[in-house]
Order: sequence, then C-alpha cells, then structure tokens
Amino acid sequence: MAHLGQAGLVIALVLAGYGAVAAFLGGRTGRPAFVESARRTSFAVLGVVVVVNAAMLVALLGDDFGIRYVAENSSQGTPTFFKVLSLWAADDGSLLLWNLILAGFIGAVAWRFRKSHPPTYPYALGVLFAVQLFYLLLINGPARPFATLAAAPADGRGPSPLLQNHPLMAVHPPFLYLGFIGFTVPFAFGIAALLAGPGSDQWVTLIRRWTLAVWCFLTIGLSLGALWSYSVLGWGGYWAWDPVENVALLPWLVSTAFLHSVMLQQRRGMAALWNLVLVIAAFALMTFGTFLTRGNVLTSIHAFTESGVGPAYLGFLVVVLLGGFGLVAWRMPSLRSPARLDSVLTREAAIVGNNVLLLSATAIILLGTTAPLIVEAVSGERISVGRPYFENALAPVLFLLLLLVGTAPMLPWRATRRSRRLAHLRLPVGVASVVTVAGAFAGARHIEAAAGFGLAALVIVTNGQELLAGVLRARRRHQRGALRRGGRRYGGLLVHVGLGVLAAGIIASSGLGEQSEVTLAEGQSVTFGGHELRYDGLTTTREPQRTVLTTRLSVTDGPGAATELLTPRLNLYPAASEPIGSPSIDRGPVWDLYASVIGLQRNGESATFRLYHNPGVNWVWVGALLMVIGGLTAGWSRRRVERMPHGQPDPRRERVPAGIGAS
Amino acid sequence: MATRRRTQVWAMGAVAVAVVMVTTVLGFGLGHRGALASGQFVQRPAPTFVLPGLDRRAESTVRLAKLRGHVVVVNFWASWCAECRSEQAALNRTWQRFRDSGVVVVGVNFQDAAGDARQYAATSGGSYPVVSDSDSSAALAYGIRGVPETYVVDPKGRLVDRFVGPVTYAQLSRRINDVLSKGDR
Amino acid sequence: MTRRRWNAVDAVVVVALMAALVALATVALADRSARPTADEQAHDIAASLHCPVCKDLSAADSPAPLARQMRAQIRERLADGAGPAEIRQEFVASYGTSVLMSPPDHGWGRAVNLAPLALLAGAALVGAGVLRRGLRSPTPEGPNGEALQLDDESRRRLEDALAQLSREEP
Repeated sequence: MAHLGQAGLVIALVLAGYGAVAAFLGGRTGRPAFVESARRTSFAVLGVVVVVNAAMLVALLGDDFGIRYVAENSSQGTPTFFKVLSLWAADDGSLLLWNLILAGFIGAVAWRFRKSHPPTYPYALGVLFAVQLFYLLLINGPARPFATLAAAPADGRGPSPLLQNHPLMAVHPPFLYLGFIGFTVPFAFGIAALLAGPGSDQWVTLIRRWTLAVWCFLTIGLSLGALWSYSVLGWGGYWAWDPVENVALLPWLVSTAFLHSVMLQQRRGMAALWNLVLVIAAFALMTFGTFLTRGNVLTSIHAFTESGVGPAYLGFLVVVLLGGFGLVAWRMPSLRSPARLDSVLTREAAIVGNNVLLLSATAIILLGTTAPLIVEAVSGERISVGRPYFENALAPVLFLLLLLVGTAPMLPWRATRRSRRLAHLRLPVGVASVVTVAGAFAGARHIEAAAGFGLAALVIVTNGQELLAGVLRARRRHQRGALRRGGRRYGGLLVHVGLGVLAAGIIASSGLGEQSEVTLAEGQSVTFGGHELRYDGLTTTREPQRTVLTTRLSVTDGPGAATELLTPRLNLYPAASEPIGSPSIDRGPVWDLYASVIGLQRNGESATFRLYHNPGVNWVWVGALLMVIGGLTAGWSRRRVERMPHGQPDPRRERVPAGIGAS
Repeated sequence: MATRRRTQVWAMGAVAVAVVMVTTVLGFGLGHRGALASGQFVQRPAPTFVLPGLDRRAESTVRLAKLRGHVVVVNFWASWCAECRSEQAALNRTWQRFRDSGVVVVGVNFQDAAGDARQYAATSGGSYPVVSDSDSSAALAYGIRGVPETYVVDPKGRLVDRFVGPVTYAQLSRRINDVLSKGDR
Repeated sequence: MTRRRWNAVDAVVVVALMAALVALATVALADRSARPTADEQAHDIAASLHCPVCKDLSAADSPAPLARQMRAQIRERLADGAGPAEIRQEFVASYGTSVLMSPPDHGWGRAVNLAPLALLAGAALVGAGVLRRGLRSPTPEGPNGEALQLDDESRRRLEDALAQLSREEP
C-alpha cells in the first residue's frame, strides 16, 4: 500500500506539472489542442489521487502499522467508523483529503467547460494546476503520509481521544475543506482575467455560482465546527475565538462581501478592480489560515503535529500575495471603472456599506489573531488576545451590519420612489420596537442585548416581509417561472432572515444565560435554572477503545412533572492522561439545559457538575441552516433570455453596460 | 501615459512593501512558538506559602518565610505525572549532596489524591520534606502550568531560576553552586 | 412625486419607536447603577483571565481543576476585600501579561485595544470617500468618455424596465 500510495503521488505530481504547462501554453498560443490536453489531464490527476486516498483508506482499515501515519493515528481497537475518520485526523493524512478535493474541483471545472469555454479558461486551468502542484509537492516533500517505519509496531497509538469522541468529526473537516479549497476556483478565474487583460470581466458572471456554492460549504463547515465545540467539548460554548477558528472565519467574511459587490459589477459595471482584490484576498486569507493552522505558529486544539511544512506554506503565501496583488497593481490603470451613484439611499451605497463593515470585521479579527505575534516580534512583550476582546470589538460592527441588513433590501437600485419604500419599513420598525421593549421587560440586563434583539427582529421582518410579498405575488399571478427567476433575490432575502435568527441566537447566548458548579452526593438535589436536578449515581461501561463513566442526573420541573434524564459522561482513554468529558444537553426551543461532569469522588459517591442554562443556542443552528438554504436557492436561480419588442436580446441578459443611447 | 506608469509603480511598490512586512512577522512566528508563554521567567520575590505536610503531622508543615537564609529548591509534582518520576533521582541526589550546605529541597504535591501521593512519596527514595498544596494556592502563586516544575529561591527569598519539565542534577547543582558562591561574597 | 401624508399607522410606529428608545435608556441606566454581586464580579474577573492549563478558554469557562481552584481563589480574594484590578495584577505577577485575555492598557497593548475602533473608522472614511466620488459623477459616460443623453421616450422605457426589474430581481 505504501508503495502504491507513494508512486501514485509522484505520478500525480508529474501530471499536474504537465497540466499547468499545457494550460499556460494553451492560453499563450491560443492553440485548442493544448487546452484540451490540459483538460484531460485534470481527469487523470483526479483518478490518481482517488486511488492514492483509497490506498490510505485500505491501509487504515487493514491495520497496516508499517506505515507511520497509520501507526500514529489508528489502532486495532479503534472502531471502523473512526478508522475511516483517521484519514483526515492528522496533518499528513488530511493533506491527502485536501489534494483529493482540489483535484475534484479542477475536474469539475474541466467538466463544466467541456463543450465551450471562455477566453480566460486556459489561464484559469493553469493557475488551478499550479496550486495543485504546490500541494502535491508538499505531500511528496515535507509531509509524507506514506512514510514507513523500520519496524512495524504490533498496534497503533490510536487517534487522539478528543477526535474520536463524536461522529461530528466525520463531517466538520470535509465541509470546511470544501469551503476553503473551493476558493481556488474564483481565484484562478480572477488571476486569469488579470492575465488576459482588460475587457475580460465576464469572469464575475462565470464564477458567481461557484463562489456561492463554496460559501455554502464554508458556512456549513463553520457551523458544524461550532456545533462540535458545543456538543462535544463540554465547556458550554460554541466559539472560543481560537486562532484557528478565527482564520476560518476570515475567508467567509470576505467572500460574503464579494458576493454583494459582484452585484455592483454585474448591474452597474462598477467595482471591477475591487472584486478582483476581494477574490485574491479571500484566497490569500485561506492560504494564510492554512499556514497558521498547520505551520505550527500558534498552539490550539487544532494544532497538527510538528512538521516541516511551515516554511513551505509561508513561501506559497508570499507567491500568492506578490503574484495576485502584484497583477492587480500592474493592471490597475486599466481596471478602474467609474463609480456612479445617484444618491446615498440606494442599493449601491448600501453595498458599499456592507463591504466596509464586513472588511472591518475581517481586519479586526485578523489583527486580533496576529497581534500577539506582531507585538512579540517587535517588542518582545507577550500579550494575549481572547474572547472579551473580540466580542467587544465586533459588537458595534455586528449591530451596524444588522441595521444595514434590516433596511437595505428596501432600497432601490438608483433613486426612485423613495417615500413609498420608506413606508415598507413601518412594520419592521414597529415589530423591532415592540421586541426591544419586550426584551427590556423580560430582563435583558444590558443595553446591547435589548438593542440587539430589536435589530435582529428588524432584519427578520424586513427581509421576511419582502420574501413573503414576492412569493405571494408570484403565486397570485400563477407565474411559476417567476420564483425561479427571482431565486437570486429570494435566496438573498432568506439568507438575511437566517442572519437575523443567527444574530438573535448569538446575542441571547452571549451573556443571558446562567451557569453553576455544584458537587452532589448520590441522591442529593440542586435547584438550577428553574429545574430540580438530582444525582442518581454512576455506571461504568467498558468499550474496546475506552472506559465510559456515565453519571445520571434526573431533571424535574416540579412534583408530578415529567422527568428528563441527563447523562454527562467521562471518557477514559488509555492514551490521554486526563478523562475527556462529554456533556449532556436537553435542547429546547429557547433554553438548553446543559450538564457536564468534571470530577468524581470516591468512585462516584459524589460528583462535581457544571450546569448551564443557555438561551438561544438552537437559534444559531437554525439561522445557519436558513442561510445555507438561502444560499442554495440563490445559486439555483436561472433567468430566461427574454426578447425585447424590436428583436434585441433583453438588456438584462447583458452584463456589460451597453451604451444607453443606442436604440 | 506617464500617470498610468506612475500608478502602476506606486501600486506595485506598495504591494512589495506590505508583503515584505507580512513575511518578516510570520517568519518570526515560525521561529518562535507563540501563544501561551511557557518557561517564562521573571526575577521576583518568591511567593511565600504555608503548606501542611503530606503526612499531616503538625511538625511537617513548611513555612517558606522561615527558610530565609537558606537556598530552597521548590519542586511541584504529582503521582499521576509520568515525567516526575524521571527527575526523582536528580532531586534525591541534590538533597543528599547539598543538605549540609543549608540547601532545602521541598516537594509540593499538586492536584493529587492524598493516598496516591503518600504512596508515591513512600517509594520515591526521597527524604526531603514533602507538602500538599490542596487548593493550588501555591501553584497559582508560582505560575504553574503543569507538572513537573522546579523553582530555585536564594537566601534573600528571591526567585532566581525556573525549570519547566523534568530537571537534571547538572542543572540544579550548577544553579545552587552559583547562588551559594554569590552569597559568600 | 408627491409626499405621502402621515396617517395613523405612521403614528403608531413612531410611538413604538419612542417606547423602544425609552426602554433602551432605562436598561442602560439600570445597568449602570446596578452593583454587580460578588458572584458576578468573580465571574467577570475569571472571564478576563486565561485558564493556565488549557488552550484559549478563560478561567471562567474551563472545566480544568486548576481553573476551578483559580475561581475559588478569586472568590476568596474578593471576600478579603481586594479589588478586581488588584486580583488581576496578582495573577499577572505569577503568569505574566499573557494570562490576561485582553491586552493590558499600556504600551503596545493599548494600541491593540484601540485598533478595532481605528480600523472601523478608517474603513468608514474610505467608504465615504467612495460614495462621494460616486455622487460627484452622475452623468453616465460612454466608452470614449463622451456624455450620453436620454430622450424622454427612452427615459420612460428605462424607468418602466427598472421598476419591473427591482420588483422581482435582487
């Protein structure tokens, strides 16, 4: 298996190199033969990488401990499900998955453009191959998953206990990778547009759907990570402002800004330069994130093992930054498009505002994450930047963003009929005000909470109202096609509604809950969060890879009411020096009752629990889900080509602003 | 056009400068492991403590303030800590070699079950005083992030060195000799 | 376009908005004058300190035993009468400035603390600049920079098309 894998990686490397050369030559010379050859090569690379991944999978399932990666990350006692997960548990193996997904995307691009392709296509393919080349060099060089051990041990070390505690580990990394790696495609087309020269701004239309799909993947990946942190790690929260978490958020923010400012370019021909900057920034941030995560610069729960890849990632990042922004700087004079605004109360201005806020958030998070590094490099002083800093710094940005999202969908493109639009805001503002007052009465302790709920309500009602009105109008006129045609708008509105729900969840769970720590003897009860909890004892279960100590907490709301059972657990893994806790959560529409056990005394005669009463956490998951559905809806829309009365194609179809005087 | 060229040059120059700055900082980060400081040592007065002996006898209580005028080696350990076993021999040897020079080795038990700790101490071969820091007040005062960690206190009650991880006899004896020779002057 | 006249619905909405602002002001005042309980104070202090043995969790959030003991120590010190700043300083003396979850308010730390506001302000300025530049050139330009004019017929057709566009398109 090791030889098969190793050989396959070398073959893939050679093929990718050839593909890059062929694609760039095809772009330079314009000869279709080169381009076609490069296209076919992408399928070949995909095939080889699939085989290589399968080889590693077979090695893991077959307990081939001669391979160092298998010996370090799997063991005979590991359940099959987690053996499969071991493929991406650690650095080297996850690079295999990374290469697979990247090859998959390149293959998809090759497939998508099999019949016809835009002029920027050869260069884009070349850039894609170049990126694949880097990751294949990495996996053939500093990070070698198929490295063998001189003497194969009898049993492997097994995966890190934290990673095999929960099946969510199955889906969080793949979606995250799909989201990250997917940014390579818009980036490649952006670079291709820069290389091909001015007049090639069709690239934005081409990759809008790709970027939307990638955005959806990344949203899912981030949400799953938060869900894992909440449901598995046992500290009662879902986002710790861990450096690795932060850098994963950065491309998401930039791509959200991009998806909005794309509308400026498509409708008004503005922001061409800016969109290129955004797409390069998204890819650069993703590369930076990879560097930070795997390059061993900061320590975190996501820290991969020590490896020589750090300098390689830094080098790649430098190439990306110099090449990408250098090209932009070179082409800058020919890219500047006139910005034309009729008034500040227009959708265009709102999009500028959107970009300002999202990029401020990006800059704040980036600065906060790298500040300890920078300060230490410059002055030797060691500071730390954690959750309170980020929460305080981003709260105003979030609030301004909510205000914008709650009013901007009302704004027209260009200025027309302003007073009528303002009337549509009456219901949202009314509801938001009522919610604010209700929140204040219900005991929102801080002004941020009450105001935040009001703003979230504003967002939900404004966008929900528009969504409902549009759908009802289409149904009334029996225009089935209208729903599909307007998918982009309805999808966007749904994403905004999801954002409102998410924001409400974030505000609720950031400080309106309560927590308590209590030691209970068997049979003893405590009152918490309006419930009575009684410790009913401990059971021990032995599983092949761990021993599980399960405590039982019965929860009652009062005499005669139904009893819920919470079962927080302590998992003892032979590889871990301390037990790993698993919390038990009773989820409800508003409140979560969350219990984790952090200590046992005298074989379970008494136990120490941490109890949380968290509001709004489920709204976070629902909000994220709505955002993903909205994103998919927006990508699914298709607009027919409509014919104008005198036989010209519908100007809506044309993306390049035509001379209006010509008729 | 001249302005075209100038825009280009300025823009590309800005990009180059920014990239150089970014590379320098990140390159620095590669060389150093950042985040939580480990092994950071600052000269300061040794935090004082009064800790009961592991055997719970009144005369086994150790008061750091009373040990003024002596060099004190404060070693934090736990029975569940595998690496602590590897430094036990070094600590025993240090105690044997230097106790007549007035050096005191104190073992401070950290986050442990009393029974396990006593059992470990009984079989460790050490005869120096061993105390129990049940509420981790001493550990927090010294800045412990894990075990084992060892501190050296000079006769004036100042912290002069810190070792994170298992300590060797060579390291301890060098530091102790250093402090003793300074005191003689 | 004539301005719409105010009606009853408008009045209700304005009243609701006023009520909301009053509610916010009330909450803010109550918040400002409320004295935090000892438990809340202890929690706030713990939340501002790193747990020394875990990655990125605060002493308030962490389930680790040392974090629990830290919380207990904070409560004890508060009961002794020590102030929050003093308690934080004691931990800084033991663990260094990196035990604080936010940078300290002097030197480089201060710059880092003020940076988010500066970034937001800077971005807002750039955005305002973009908006101003856009507002200053309302006349559409053709590919050769000549100004383009619309006749009335084209303008009416254009406005109709735009109205229909914004009704069903993003």
